[in-house]
Amino acid sequence: MAFRKVCKFCERNVERLDYKDADTLGRLITDRGKILPRRATGTCARHQRQLGTAIKRARYLALIPYIQGYHS
Amino acid sequence: MRDYEVVYIFKSSLTTEEIEGRLEAYHGKILAAEGSEITAVDHWGKRQLAYPIDRNDNGYYVVTQFTASPGVLPDFERALKLDEDLLRHLVVLSEGEMPMPIMDERGRDDDDNGNRRRGRDDRDDAAGKGDDAAGEVDDDTDEGGDAADDTDDAADDDDADKGDDAEEGSEAEEGDEAEEGDDVDAKRED
Repeated sequence: MAFRKVCKFCERNVERLDYKDADTLGRLITDRGKILPRRATGTCARHQRQLGTAIKRARYLALIPYIQGYHS
Repeated sequence: MRDYEVVYIFKSSLTTEEIEGRLEAYHGKILAAEGSEITAVDHWGKRQLAYPIDRNDNGYYVVTQFTASPGVLPDFERALKLDEDLLRHLVVLSEGEMPMPIMDERGRDDDDNGNRRRGRDDRDDAAGKGDDAAGEVDDDTDEGGDAADDTDDAADDDDADKGDDAEEGSEAEEGDEAEEGDDVDAKRED
């Protein structure tokens, strides 16, 4: 697999990650709902920090799950 | 005066009139102070929740942007917390202009999927940890009270980011993004 060199948010000149954008955030979590690490997505440090905040806010708002595929 | 954004999740059993009435009451709290202004109200409508909240599977989402002095927030948030038909609310400092849509190019998306599929291999054992993580769900009730803190954090972030920009240049990889972004793209096309 080709090594991803450029952060996909930098490519698009994203200043602020939007916590309401459930489609994008949903792509950056695992099938269990965990936050994907930078080594898997190629996100730069700056955007990964924003991503952490955005995902946690989106979880609180029930836009993305805390845990996926778990039924008590 | 600061720009804020608030997301409400109402019980989906409420009628439109009931929701409008509640919004009016909340916004009245903001507008009570001089110079406050509601800049935008966006009704997302009924949406399925990613997990049940108080046994509700659906919620009615409303996003509002407003300008106000921080002094009105305690009164405003108290009103939100007392309303039992409001499942969730989140008040954050608004980050200036509306964020632009991110994923629009089809080709790039395929790239991403490739990445993720590869990542999943080492994630199989993570599945077993679901039980531990279950405790986290209960934490959200506490988080309701933290909404105010959230706004403060956002303010701090602003400052922190500025400092980091300078440092990131020192890492070889990230230097590329900032300075040679165009070159990298050109190589790819080759």
